[in-house]
Amino acid sequence: MKEVMEEAVLLFLLLVIYTPDAQGTRYSPPGKPELTRCRSPEKETFTCWWKPGSDGGLPTTHALYYRKENSDTIYECSDYHTAGENSCFFNKNDTSIWVNYNITVVASNALGSTFSDPVDIDVVYIVKPNPPEKVTVTVMELKEWPFLRVSWEPPHKADTRSGWITLIYELRVKLEGDDEWEMHLAGQQKLFNIFSLRSGGTYHVQVRCKPDHGFWSEWSSTSHIEIPDYLHREKSMWILIAVFSAFIFLILTWSLHMSSHSLKHCILPPVPGPKIKGFDKQLLKNGKSEDLLRVLVVSDFPPTTPSNYEDMLVEYLEVYVPQEQEVLLEESKDLHDSCLKFEGSTSDNDSGRVSCDSHTLLMDKCGEAKEEGRQTDQEDSTTEAEAQGQQKDWDQDTLMYANGDILSPEKSSGRVKTWPSVFSPLPQYTLSLPDQTSSLEMAKQHCYSDSLFCPGSTSSYLTHLGNNDNETLGPGSWEICLSNRQPYSHIPQMQTCQQVRSHSDVNISTIARKQEPAGLPLPFFRPTAYVEVQRFDEEDMVVLQSIVSDHGFHEGFPQMLQQEDYSKVKGVDSNNMLLLQTEAMKEDGDGCRCQDQVTNGVTESSCTLSISTTPHKPTAHIHTVVSTQDEMAQPASGYVDTATIFTLPTY
Amino acid sequence: MSKNFNVDPKVLYMVVSSSAVPVTDLLDRASQRSDKLHALSTSLSQELNSHLPLIGRVITPRPSMCHTAALQTPTDKTQTLQLSEANLLSLARSLLQAWMDPLVDISTSANSLPHPARNIISNQVQELQEHSKSLEDGLDILSRKMGPVAQTISFLPYLRGNDISQDRISSLINLQFLMSCFRRDSHKIDSFLKVLRCRAAKLQPQMC
Repeated sequence: MKEVMEEAVLLFLLLVIYTPDAQGTRYSPPGKPELTRCRSPEKETFTCWWKPGSDGGLPTTHALYYRKENSDTIYECSDYHTAGENSCFFNKNDTSIWVNYNITVVASNALGSTFSDPVDIDVVYIVKPNPPEKVTVTVMELKEWPFLRVSWEPPHKADTRSGWITLIYELRVKLEGDDEWEMHLAGQQKLFNIFSLRSGGTYHVQVRCKPDHGFWSEWSSTSHIEIPDYLHREKSMWILIAVFSAFIFLILTWSLHMSSHSLKHCILPPVPGPKIKGFDKQLLKNGKSEDLLRVLVVSDFPPTTPSNYEDMLVEYLEVYVPQEQEVLLEESKDLHDSCLKFEGSTSDNDSGRVSCDSHTLLMDKCGEAKEEGRQTDQEDSTTEAEAQGQQKDWDQDTLMYANGDILSPEKSSGRVKTWPSVFSPLPQYTLSLPDQTSSLEMAKQHCYSDSLFCPGSTSSYLTHLGNNDNETLGPGSWEICLSNRQPYSHIPQMQTCQQVRSHSDVNISTIARKQEPAGLPLPFFRPTAYVEVQRFDEEDMVVLQSIVSDHGFHEGFPQMLQQEDYSKVKGVDSNNMLLLQTEAMKEDGDGCRCQDQVTNGVTESSCTLSISTTPHKPTAHIHTVVSTQDEMAQPASGYVDTATIFTLPTY
Repeated sequence: MSKNFNVDPKVLYMVVSSSAVPVTDLLDRASQRSDKLHALSTSLSQELNSHLPLIGRVITPRPSMCHTAALQTPTDKTQTLQLSEANLLSLARSLLQAWMDPLVDISTSANSLPHPARNIISNQVQELQEHSKSLEDGLDILSRKMGPVAQTISFLPYLRGNDISQDRISSLINLQFLMSCFRRDSHKIDSFLKVLRCRAAKLQPQMC
């Protein structure tokens, strides 16, 4: 009985002890712990923390076990205390980097144990350094403005000097009382200046750091710094500025008030009444309509006086020579008639350009005089020579040759070559005849060429400047520029055979023309004899002068040149052209000395230099007809003595 | 240049002062590039992990099975700092060299990845390759300045295994595994170079 009683009491006691309380606590195995984090402050040691689960009402113990990746050996944490509660500290010996740790925490109590979930960590990925240490903040001044200089040191545990850990820093600043921090990234440096200070007061500064591939450290403890009060300086300045501006404002107001009236006029000018020029308000008021209308009528409209009518006329001819080479003009059938026209109004880009150089003259398509010329080498050479010498000759007398008929295109057998020399626009030449004399002076141009210009044989070029429309060489001025090596203005007459002076005389021209197809062989040597137009005197006289050319082409000729008779006037044709002819030359051939053989024989060779003068104006028409002739006709090489020419009666 | 490289910093200092091109500069640049390389690999690895199915976590191969595990590398700070500069450089170069081929495979596999962020991953892998290549070139130049030991490269064979014939999940798992191996190796390279940089910059403590 007693035994039963004891058992009952024992059971009762057990029950009492183990009976759960009102809430129903039960004892159970521990709850599952959880590894919260593991951190390494310097990549040499690390610590893991866990959170225990419920303890099951019983005293629970925790243990941490880990395993390194290469082995299956399970180790238990050796230090549970250094890092605090529920932590495990791995010291240097236990720490391996670049090695995976498999860590598990076990919670165990009387009723059992519970394992946490395993965690794999690699120490190098869990680095979180300690905050920077020894943060010092000082106030410094730069040009009377304060700034903060913050300096610090890396956490003492982190080995940055060997390069084991690389740290970058960041700091933040705020004024006491502010809510927001001003962040500054400092990189790897340990010194930083803050300039963005607003005013006096107390500033809070904090610094933190982070390894290159890790976590930010905690903020360092706050450093407080007080900045002296600079505000009063600012204030006084502002006060000064305010007073000054007030003063100025007062002055402005006063002056505005004083000149308000004139200002009004300036800013808001009175609106002007309507005014019509010539219109009288009074008239309107008077109501007389006739007066009104009379006033309204403008007297000088439309303009009746033609102004500068004459200016509209083209007064000069322009020759455009595009290139130094010969330009082959197209042969047009129409040259026959009007060809020798040069339209002064021919506008080209080179208006005004005068060059008696080797530019070829551009012939007017319509009626440009064309001259046959065969392109020969010599021509080219002469062209070149021409180019050289031409510049000099501008001022000298120019020989003007106007050849119209000869250049009749159909006569010209083949191509026409423009004269290499360029005709400058001679304003007075073509149009305004009265001015011829003076203008001729000016207009004299040199065209030199060695080239013979025979309308069929050589490269003699004739260009015409003709401003008039009619075919006949009227008061147009013709220029023949002969290119020559010599800086003279010579009329190459030695080559007279081939030198064809275009002549307004149709007959002559035609005749001369006919000779062209004779197929004159092109002489290689062309002695040139030149006739130079000296001047036009006031009496409308052209003075020609023969010039002995120097160049060696005139082998044997020079003497002859001098001995030649000057050309005499052959006559004056209907076109008021003076036909000159060398004496030595009969009708057959004027002193055209040409070495060339005229194959067909020269039926007529007349080196005539004709100067035609328009009845009203001393137009300088110098026509020379140089016909090819046989060699026999030499002495009379067609030189024309200007003096003789004009003194007609003398001949 | 002396051929006997040891831990003595004086030797490295001599190297630095005698060379025409500053070694410190080269090392600095190499460090920056390796830093970038590791950052890329980290982000890529995390990208892959975030989408890895749960089962993949269980059967992920252990890092000890990385093909570069054969290379003996230091496992703590003491061991690392004991290495000579030439050794450090040689290790870095060996590791880098060992990954040139696998990166190609990773790139291929990433292009055909059944992954929502495939394009991003692809681009990152390409970036990885470029950075690796340029780092390799830089280290090549650097090694010539540091003697024959530095120019030694250990050959680490890479076995493709059965990557190609794997199913989607397996290929994903394999990719993630490769990336984790690469992430670690790139960290090693970065650490070695930064130790080298600090050693070479005795006159410029601000580098460390």
